Amino acid sequence: MKEGYRNRIELLQGTLDLLILQTLLWSAQHGYGISQAIRANSGDLLQVDAGSLYPALHRLEKQKWICADWKISENNQEVKVYRLTAAGRKQLTRERSRWEQISDAIGGVLNPGKKESAS
Amino acid sequence: MKLWSLWRKREKELEKEIQHHLQMAAAERGERGASRRDAEAAAKREFGNVELVKEVTRDAWGWRWLEDLCDDARFSVRMLLKNPGFTIVAILSLALGIGATTAMFSVVYGVLVNPYPYVNTDRMVHLTVQETRGNPLFINLNGPQLQQLRQAGSLESVAAMQGWNLTTTEGDLPEDVRAAYLTSNSFIFLGVPTLLGRGLLPSDAPEGQDPENVVVLGYQFWQRHYNGDPDIVGKKIQLVHKSYEIIGVARPRFTWGDGEVYLPLKLTADPTRTYFPMTRLKPGVTRAAANAELQSLLEQFAKQTPSHFPEHFHVTLAGLNDHFVERIGGTLYLLLAAVALLLLIGCGNVSILLLARGTARQHELAVRSAIGAGRSRIVRQLLTEALMLSLGGAAIGVAMANNLVKLIVDWLPEFSFPHEAAISINLPVLFFSVGLALLTGIVFGISPALRSARPDLAQVMQANARKTTAGVRGRRTHSILIAGQIALTLLLLAGAGVAMQGFLGMMRVNLGYDPHNTMSVGIPVHDDTYKTWEARGTYFHQLLLKVNEMPEAVSAGISTNATPPNNGWDERFEISGKPAAEEQRARLNFVSAGYFVVLRIPLLQGRIWYESEAMHGANLALINQTLARQYFPNGGAIGSEIRVPALKGEPPLDLSAAGSDGWFQVVGIVGDARNDGLRNPIMPSVYVPYTIMMPVFTQILVRTNVPPLTVLHAVREQIHTVDPDQQSDRDVRDLDGWIKHEPEWEQEHLVATLFAGFGILALVLAATGLYSVISYTVAQRTGEFGIRMALGAMRKDVLLIVFRSAAMSVVAGVLAGVMLTISLNRVFTRWIEGSSLDALVLAGVILLLVITSGLSCFIPARRASSVDPTVALRYE
Repeated sequence: MKEGYRNRIELLQGTLDLLILQTLLWSAQHGYGISQAIRANSGDLLQVDAGSLYPALHRLEKQKWICADWKISENNQEVKVYRLTAAGRKQLTRERSRWEQISDAIGGVLNPGKKESAS
Repeated sequence: MKLWSLWRKREKELEKEIQHHLQMAAAERGERGASRRDAEAAAKREFGNVELVKEVTRDAWGWRWLEDLCDDARFSVRMLLKNPGFTIVAILSLALGIGATTAMFSVVYGVLVNPYPYVNTDRMVHLTVQETRGNPLFINLNGPQLQQLRQAGSLESVAAMQGWNLTTTEGDLPEDVRAAYLTSNSFIFLGVPTLLGRGLLPSDAPEGQDPENVVVLGYQFWQRHYNGDPDIVGKKIQLVHKSYEIIGVARPRFTWGDGEVYLPLKLTADPTRTYFPMTRLKPGVTRAAANAELQSLLEQFAKQTPSHFPEHFHVTLAGLNDHFVERIGGTLYLLLAAVALLLLIGCGNVSILLLARGTARQHELAVRSAIGAGRSRIVRQLLTEALMLSLGGAAIGVAMANNLVKLIVDWLPEFSFPHEAAISINLPVLFFSVGLALLTGIVFGISPALRSARPDLAQVMQANARKTTAGVRGRRTHSILIAGQIALTLLLLAGAGVAMQGFLGMMRVNLGYDPHNTMSVGIPVHDDTYKTWEARGTYFHQLLLKVNEMPEAVSAGISTNATPPNNGWDERFEISGKPAAEEQRARLNFVSAGYFVVLRIPLLQGRIWYESEAMHGANLALINQTLARQYFPNGGAIGSEIRVPALKGEPPLDLSAAGSDGWFQVVGIVGDARNDGLRNPIMPSVYVPYTIMMPVFTQILVRTNVPPLTVLHAVREQIHTVDPDQQSDRDVRDLDGWIKHEPEWEQEHLVATLFAGFGILALVLAATGLYSVISYTVAQRTGEFGIRMALGAMRKDVLLIVFRSAAMSVVAGVLAGVMLTISLNRVFTRWIEGSSLDALVLAGVILLLVITSGLSCFIPARRASSVDPTVALRYE
């Protein structure tokens, strides 16, 4: 079971990090909020499970790309809220351009003719 | 602890974060109309296994190794507690090894690595010279010479000391106090701050004036005399009727010159007064360079005061600890090597136990590996178990070491180690022990761990159905370990045998005198008293008479410098009419006629001088048998004349009779008595009346009809009646006590006792190891034995099988041990002086080992042979 979780994280690792960083670009969010935002913005296609989300959040926090603050919510609860750091912003740009390269590359492989005509 | 609280905090935060997630998810579902219970259940379902999420999240913290370590440790403790027998034997094996090693190391550290509290000890040197025969000699200098020494270019600073025995004149009997008079720069020179108050300062002894009446107390004296009174500074102390102000108390490790009180010293211009110099080299100056510079200076001094120097010498400055390293260093390293062997044997034991248990646990490990535990994970788990054992062993070992250290310190030869040394379990020693524990854990744990972590799944599962014989490889490892243990044990036992033989040999040595029921009472004469030859001679004679008239005294005599077994001044002598081809040296002793009666040294020829002759300072001499044999092989000793050219007093300290450097008539020959320690051959000896030379101390020998030390107080009272200020040495012993005080006696006693102790421990450990292996093999082969017996094997056949399996490794071990011992024999003979391996000792040791091994095999073997075949076949 444990190994199963880990494999999925690895599969998603690059992209999940990208999705989290992107989600935090405009506003700080707590863990549940992030998962809901990703879900809503992907048209319910991408569902991030907790076993992937929280390790990713804690890892990103350790790498100092995001940082966490404890805030008090409306119903008077302590909530851990994540926000993007300056380093995280840079990382997001890097990840985005890498993602674009990959999707271009995959697109090129899937549609060889198009690529040739484009160049 | 900080790490732990940080961990707890993060753990709590994670819990909060997840709970919040669940609440939010449930709340959203509730808004969409689900019932509260359904919403919560759905949220949990979606979230998944909370504990698992927590665990994978924690992985992201990068603390997994720590968590694993804690898990491993907890699991190890559980496993170890489940097998208390195994655990106790393993931990005790290690505790013995680690404890003994820790104790020895703390002695080595205290004596050889960090003995002194003073500053820049590496540049402090003793002013020593070597005379023609290579013996080192400390050189004392007088005041003007010291001033000149201070100008030497290679020296940074020079201080000086003079020792005197003073007395406190407060109690009913005067108490002896060893005073060290120090030049006023000494406390700065040594650089150790005082415990209370201040040390001596240059202002305490202003140039050209008498020093102030101030005193710094030594720590021991402060404890003994004042019970460690914290308000002592500023109070007064009476020493020989003079009042001194106490200005400070020295630290415990400040024991320079073994002083009990430290007073300011005033260097005088009197050429006969000499002082013990302390010198520190300038940084960067080598000893060779300093030796060269000081050689010409000292030769110049020797011309001024020839009697303070040997005839020919060259300067060889000695480091502060050189003398002690030479005396005891080898012995200490030898003992450290011995305990290292003991530790190795203990490690071997635990290795054997772990291997045996590893095989027993093969099934468990195979299951773990079958469900996915990695090999490195299993090795780590097993190593953790090993480390738990070794740390447990270290904890118990250090506790035991504490007692052992005290014992060793008591037994160390008193003047073979610096008294500044702090020999205890201190921080560096603890670091050493913990490091040792980790190292041993890895040493004995790694091979069983590697072996056990590689279970052959198919074989193990199969083997489980019926215990068959262990693989050949497992048995070979056992045999090697057992053989190794036996070899090392033999080496240790042989060492113990050699040491004990040497010691017993020394105990049996023919002394030539009767030490029983006799004690020597040292009497230091106060400065500026009994300054003429007649006065001092009469005084000593009166003291002798007073002691002699006690009812308990059988006989009494004066023995200024002649208390055996190491006595007399080593002097050059001449024989009238016999020009010497080479230097003739003899031990020169100053005694009264009663000396020979007290010690029961027989007069072989001629006569002893009469008391009246002694009182006149007659030039009469007795010689011992060795001198007579060596220099008068054809007889004619009696009536011949001998002369000691250097025998001349130096008033006011050393008072000699007129004509003391002239010719002495030999009137008798006495039997040989030990005069150069217990090990060396007896030196030629000359005895002259004590009145010939009277320094500022003497000793009275008294033979009593009761144990002598019980009448010591009475003796002191008798002395008190002659001179109310006259104390006697604190350190009064009977002559048996002085024999036990000889450095060679103490050293051999230490080595023999410790070696014997270590040897016995090694034997016990090796026997335990052998016993465990045999019992384990027997248990494993129960099924096989059952089959054999069912097929008609007799009990003795089974016994034989078991014995044969052990015999190979025992024989191999004994052979290896004998070879090891013989090749290391040179080390033994070098460090355990006066002894070497002989065949009898070796044979005895081998016999002891074989018998012990036989016994350790016999018990499990008998168990095997008494197996009931039907039970054995049904076994498991």
